[in-house]
Amino acid sequence: MAQFTQFPLSVQNLTFQYRTREQPAIEDVSFDLHAGELLLVAGSSGCGKTTLIRCINGLIPRSYKGTLSGRVLLNGEDASGLSLSRVSQIVGTVLQDPERQILGAHVFTEVAFGLENLGLPRDEIRQRVDETLDFLGIAHLRNRETFSLSGGEKQKVSLAGVLAMRPNILLLDEPLASLDPASAQEALALFRRLADAGVSILLVEHRVEDALGIRPDRVLFMRDGKIAYDGSLDGAMQVMDYRQVKLPAPVVIERAAKVPLPAFEPAIKANGRDPLVIFEDVTFAYESGAEVIHGVNMTLRQGDVVAILGPNGAGKTTLVKHAIGLLKPSHGRVLVEGTDTRKISVAQIAHTLGYVFQSPSHMLYAPTVREELAFGPKNLGFSAEAIEAGVDAALDAVNVRGLESYPPLSLSFGQQKRVSIAAILAMHSKILVMDEPTAGQDYWNYIAFMDSILQTPGFSAILFITHDLDLAICYANRVVLMHDGQIAGDGAPAEVLTDFDLLERCRLVPTSLLRANLEHLSVTGRFLSAEALAHALVDRKR
Amino acid sequence: MLIAWRYRERDTIIQRLDPRARIIFMLTMLFSVIQFWDLRILLIFLGIALLQFFLAKLTWRETRRAWILISIIILVMTTLTFFTGRGGIQYAYTEEHLIRQLGPLSLPIVGWQISVNITVEKIVFAVSQLVRMYAITVMAITIPYTVNPSLYGVTFRGLGLPDKFAYAMDLAFRFVPTLARDFAITRDAQRARGYEVEKLSGGIIAQIRKLAPLLVPVTINAIVGAEDIIDAMDLRAFGVRPRTWVHQLTYARVDKFLIAIGVLIFVASTVLAFMGIGRLWLPAWALAWAQ
Repeated sequence: MAQFTQFPLSVQNLTFQYRTREQPAIEDVSFDLHAGELLLVAGSSGCGKTTLIRCINGLIPRSYKGTLSGRVLLNGEDASGLSLSRVSQIVGTVLQDPERQILGAHVFTEVAFGLENLGLPRDEIRQRVDETLDFLGIAHLRNRETFSLSGGEKQKVSLAGVLAMRPNILLLDEPLASLDPASAQEALALFRRLADAGVSILLVEHRVEDALGIRPDRVLFMRDGKIAYDGSLDGAMQVMDYRQVKLPAPVVIERAAKVPLPAFEPAIKANGRDPLVIFEDVTFAYESGAEVIHGVNMTLRQGDVVAILGPNGAGKTTLVKHAIGLLKPSHGRVLVEGTDTRKISVAQIAHTLGYVFQSPSHMLYAPTVREELAFGPKNLGFSAEAIEAGVDAALDAVNVRGLESYPPLSLSFGQQKRVSIAAILAMHSKILVMDEPTAGQDYWNYIAFMDSILQTPGFSAILFITHDLDLAICYANRVVLMHDGQIAGDGAPAEVLTDFDLLERCRLVPTSLLRANLEHLSVTGRFLSAEALAHALVDRKR
Repeated sequence: MLIAWRYRERDTIIQRLDPRARIIFMLTMLFSVIQFWDLRILLIFLGIALLQFFLAKLTWRETRRAWILISIIILVMTTLTFFTGRGGIQYAYTEEHLIRQLGPLSLPIVGWQISVNITVEKIVFAVSQLVRMYAITVMAITIPYTVNPSLYGVTFRGLGLPDKFAYAMDLAFRFVPTLARDFAITRDAQRARGYEVEKLSGGIIAQIRKLAPLLVPVTINAIVGAEDIIDAMDLRAFGVRPRTWVHQLTYARVDKFLIAIGVLIFVASTVLAFMGIGRLWLPAWALAWAQ
């Protein structure tokens, strides 16, 4: 029997345990979502955010089996009594990675997919698709192929596919994770507009700072599958652990000053500044003729910790793949320790330069983590002792000790990512190159392993590609900004990141940490993490 | 995420045809061509296939990879048939005219000793097989480059498949280039770990085992990707009721004409084959090579 409440969504004493797990993923979770309310759900990996979303959108218990108790009421009706087609018209879900959600080959067919499944008449489908594309400001993408879209465009298209079904509840599972900062801001503004238009929104995000711009009406902080806090934003700022979720820099500076600063001393020292990798007038064009890198000159030197920043499609990954010889320049040349990459194999370059790919699932294959980590060193002809030592050091560096005998592919995404980085660390490369090392990782984990990698001895230089400006501020001693296949800025963070016009052109948005660092630059002389900045300011007052 | 074949809009007579008509025509050609071994007839089918390819205005540059891949497969298969003699001796000819005996030869990897009789029939059969396979593949590879990927599903639905099967065909079509992309990413990721597939050594089993770094991630990704696709479909109510296909296909006169031609060729081929016409053709000048 239908039970009437005033809430579009009401979660009551919800507990779920996956069939394959020994502990419940969520336990006794209860909350209500008002019409037009924007609820921010924050928490680190494993806190139960994704399971909660699956319980609401009906994938639990239909697709994921386990023990479920408690209730989810949608517009007052018990969701367990509703068909999936009915649930999908009430609840729309946008997943973390739009690539996992988009099915259609073209934008129009993608947005029309759900409406086709509901059996609506063709004219109504066309009308709804066009209305939705207009509302989201992406009507110009209507006939584009979905795989050719940028990350931000894909996110909007997957949102359009959900909104076209006119749900009154929207579940957004870390929707900013794959977006460049400017696209993330645009997406957030859109979510606010939807909430103001009456859609109830549940936004799951561990980058709390980014979500603040749209003034969430309420915050729910989850820890170990339970609700640790449910209340106002201001209260949440004092309750949430700033090492588990990313809070605004002023909040962290205020709170971190009262607790001891964790020790952090980068192992890389700029001794000698010898050139390690030289890009000489590098131009690269794909077989189709499209030129994506235009005459890049850059030298990676001993002691560099370089962050490469720039929008999707700027050519960051394409440029960096030249360093390991996976791509050869159409014009110009790349020298790794003085040797042209055209004259040596990728395997030979791998002795000097370790390259961590963005997606761990594309490289993990071995039956155990230990064998996975030994694969690279074995290929490079290391001795048994050197392999053993390299594997052990790598296990500790990324905090996967204890998982040595597990199959890497059975681990969580975050653990897989760390194993993929460890697999390269075990190769003892002088230069470490990482493509989006923090993608898909929660805040606590990526801060922990970046700290650890930077403190690991043995590297002459580190280079990483990222969308996260704060990662560059905290860890890099050099920032390279890329835009449209060219280098738009190159220098120390305190030099390059002060040019806000340049940042805007590269689709970067100044963060509260950048502003705080700029404010105190005359005192500190360099950019620092929020915690280090808090202590630097306290020391100065003394 | 599934990616599509390198399709692009072209204003050609081939692209203006209804994709259903093109698939029906392709199937009639396929079932016709497999009834013949006569090189002269097979060349006519190859001519039709090439005509379709050129009318579609496909360029060498965009189809180069596909040509190389199918040429490798066809050449390997034809060479194997030529050396083993299997296939032809069972179906196309009963006696052979010896030109020369080679061997005994030692096969690489397995080390088997074999003798090869070079006969007129084997040569003519190999050439016929080559032409036959090219006729079929050229006819087929034109399709993914010239059919709008958004029409795959509705095309198969229009050919009479139920909704679920039609959409499954749509996904399966796009799965092929997606698999190729995933394979390329994995190959690059493993090369960056010092893995060199070209330096594999040992026996066949050992070599296959050493391919695990490539095969395992690609396979697991395909399975995980399939689970994502199922979730995404479930979340948007796929399969809960008969669906609307927003794109509509309508047969024009030229489509009906094409289907009629295809059916006519198939019927004519079947009749000719039934009459025993179109078996392996041995030119007199080729027989003169024999001792």
